[in-house]
Amino acid sequence: MNVYQPFRVRVEERIDETPDTRTLRLRFLDEEVARNFQFRAGQFGEYSVFGEGECTFCIASSPTRKGYIECSFKTVGKVTTAMKDLEVGDEMGFRGPYGNHFPLDRMEGGNIVFIAGGIGLAPVRCVIWNVLDERNKYRDVMIIHGARSVADLVYKRELEEWGRRPDVRLWTTVDPGGETPDWKGEVGFVPAIVQKAAPAARDAWAIVCGPPIMIQYTLPVLQGLGFPPDRIYTTLENRMKCGIGKCGRCNIGPVYVCKDGPVFTAAELARLPKEF
Amino acid sequence: MRELRDLARRLLEEGSVQTVLGWEEGPRGARPVFVRRPEEAERLIFDPRCVHNLAAYLSPRRPHLKGLGRIAICVKPCDAKAVAGLIRETQVARDQVVLIGLRCGGVLPDPEGRETLSGETVADRCRGCPDREPRLADHVVGTAAEGFPGPSRRQQKVEELLALSPDDRWRFWQQELARCVRCHACRQVCPLCFCEQCIADKTRPRWVESSAHGRGNLAWHISRAMHLAGRCVDCGECERVCPGGIPLGLLTRRVAKTVGERFGWRPSDDPAVPSPVGTWRPEDPQEFIL
Amino acid sequence: MMTNASQITQAGLSSLVEDLRQAGIQVIGPARVTDGAVEYQRLADLSGWTPGVQPRRSLKEWFLPVTEPLFRYRKQGPRVLVEELAPPDAPRVVLGAYPCDAAALPILDAVMGWDYRDDPWFARREATVILSQVCPGGDASCFCTDVGIAPDSAAGADLRMCPIESGWRVQVETGKGEAFLQQWSRHFQPANGSKNPLPPAGPPRSEAPRANPERVRAWIETHFEDPFWQEVALRCHGCGGCAAVCPTCHCFDIVDEPENPVQGARRRNWDTCQTALFTRHASGHNPREDQCGRCRQRVNHKFAIYPARFGRILCTGCGRCARTCPSGQDITEILARIDQWAAGPGGA
Repeated sequence: MNVYQPFRVRVEERIDETPDTRTLRLRFLDEEVARNFQFRAGQFGEYSVFGEGECTFCIASSPTRKGYIECSFKTVGKVTTAMKDLEVGDEMGFRGPYGNHFPLDRMEGGNIVFIAGGIGLAPVRCVIWNVLDERNKYRDVMIIHGARSVADLVYKRELEEWGRRPDVRLWTTVDPGGETPDWKGEVGFVPAIVQKAAPAARDAWAIVCGPPIMIQYTLPVLQGLGFPPDRIYTTLENRMKCGIGKCGRCNIGPVYVCKDGPVFTAAELARLPKEF
Repeated sequence: MRELRDLARRLLEEGSVQTVLGWEEGPRGARPVFVRRPEEAERLIFDPRCVHNLAAYLSPRRPHLKGLGRIAICVKPCDAKAVAGLIRETQVARDQVVLIGLRCGGVLPDPEGRETLSGETVADRCRGCPDREPRLADHVVGTAAEGFPGPSRRQQKVEELLALSPDDRWRFWQQELARCVRCHACRQVCPLCFCEQCIADKTRPRWVESSAHGRGNLAWHISRAMHLAGRCVDCGECERVCPGGIPLGLLTRRVAKTVGERFGWRPSDDPAVPSPVGTWRPEDPQEFIL
Repeated sequence: MMTNASQITQAGLSSLVEDLRQAGIQVIGPARVTDGAVEYQRLADLSGWTPGVQPRRSLKEWFLPVTEPLFRYRKQGPRVLVEELAPPDAPRVVLGAYPCDAAALPILDAVMGWDYRDDPWFARREATVILSQVCPGGDASCFCTDVGIAPDSAAGADLRMCPIESGWRVQVETGKGEAFLQQWSRHFQPANGSKNPLPPAGPPRSEAPRANPERVRAWIETHFEDPFWQEVALRCHGCGGCAAVCPTCHCFDIVDEPENPVQGARRRNWDTCQTALFTRHASGHNPREDQCGRCRQRVNHKFAIYPARFGRILCTGCGRCARTCPSGQDITEILARIDQWAAGPGGA
């Protein structure tokens, strides 16, 4: 079996997050692989539908939940469209886990602020559940999630669950015009809500994922709140093929995103050429 | 050459263009150059090594050239046909570009050519070329030279291939196309391959397999030749660039032969001549429709 | 090692090739193709063998094929059967590899082997014995000596051949080469004065180095936004011909190709950073949005990124990119200009 041959996984559950975003829960067919499969929050994989091709996403489920993995994706291209067409019980492929991860061990004992825009909540959700499943290791947890409209909010059931938890401070927001009459959350862009929520920077870490424009405007807000750039983490989504540092596609200057990333600090990104 | 350089300098100085696109002396013979300052006009050359069809740089597929301002482009009479093609197909507006026409007596097969131009050394596509004087031009410079008689060997080869049995022709093309690596360089340098999204890059559905195997290569080269029906000006750039040395001009010539016979089409430097694929007439031959 | 140098007559080489063929060992070497150019091909015998002419394309495709299946799949309802392919480890011999082509292979071993091991690459590497030939001298685009390689370089060669009056003098370079020589010893004779190195090759292709790779790398690493990249890209058509002929360009694509609705293969195909599609996201966003970034990437990857990561320049100075470029782009000219700035006041 060469390095490009995927594990076989079976679709166990399909969850429609938004009209164009779906989550698949995947279980490894090989019992031994299922037992031994380990990953860290933030790592990614190559998901494939045979006959259509491979596609790169982070693993959206938490490493604390064993036996399966989940991925959430927007249907934009050939492979994601094919993934959307899979039924429960269908088989597909998975290679991974690849890349680096969020340094949760370093964050132990600290406060964590999660900031996610749109489908950017997928990589963050993995870390959120990891943290919540080991809740006693961390202090304050704040989650800020924004989407274009109420319909575009992903993981709605989980947002409700996090909102009910006394040990999580949840802020949800939609872009102006994206609200519905019964919307109870915030209305405004993510950077403005971060400013409003004003998480304390002391002993805190921020994990930010979302569209480039959101990240671009959120970083200065966080820095204004006192978050140093080496305590702000994000994950990059450059186009990849091999995922293992060979095919040359994901270079940003000297960096192989698939090997040195996908998780980077804002300090690291500031040193990279703007090719992402 | 003096005339060309003086003209380029004047156009840049008076500001009627911001860039003059021509040829210069490079490390390996003539090569394209973008002259953007009047004093750099001295870099321009024109001789039989200036084989490149610069019209390709006008194609809208080159966004990195958008910042060059208004361009004056040097064209041989044959290159002007490619510019006319781009104008005809509404890819370039006539008033958007200044054409510096160069009188031409034929070029060598490649930009490095050290030979003197002769009936033996001349590029095959120049054999039988009737055009000495560029007509689609805002300025015409240089001296008229005599051309070389045809027919071109490539045209003869097309006829030879057509005389073969289908099996033998198939074997010929299988052997030639086996060297294709699907780099699509032929497309990239083609002035008339201007599609924003090429059929070879479409994945939903995947019309042309991207793998360099028999199926993929055949599908690609047939698609390309067909898409160039009534567009190809036979500049030979696809063949010159091919890192596998595949005689791609035979395919486009073969298609051009049919378009010529059926629709009376010949590459023209008149943008007003209607494109055979862009026009429909009730009397068009259509016996292939069952 | 018993002996370091042997020799073989032309007739001996012919009978060696015949014996290899009989033993089921594929022989690959430079030979003319239909359009008259020389390419590395499978040889049935030595009749078409053209040592001493640099092949149009590099040796790379014999290790990283232009297209290759990675595995096959078959669907049965919701189930998918994945069919592993046998590793491509059929024994082969390359007869007459150019030094700039042989040298590319150990350079590429670094990227193919770090952390994850590229199985098809190493299966072919291990199954292949490489007999390189000392280069008889190239043309003005050659610059192997600028990047630490030489016309008589042994890098990547198991055995090195140099023409002598009576045939070829053969020098052992690796254990694999030694084993090969022993296995087929009946075709070889001991060389006179076996301790001597190979006779000197022709004159180095470039007299004086045109660029200092260290300075070039330092400049590239600090000048990502330099307007030079805009300027240098102007004449580039983005055809990727440079990558296609390059011995070290190794970027690839992975695609699924169904043969029918139920079965097909996942393949690896050559790709190049010179196209827009290479980096374009499904969303349409393209982080490397035009040809300037793509030209920079090719130079950057070869002369800065790869050296930083793997300690080797991703280039053997074969000069093919300059020879093939339809618009006369010349990597040595680019490097020389960078070097000039880097060496000048302010430098890197």
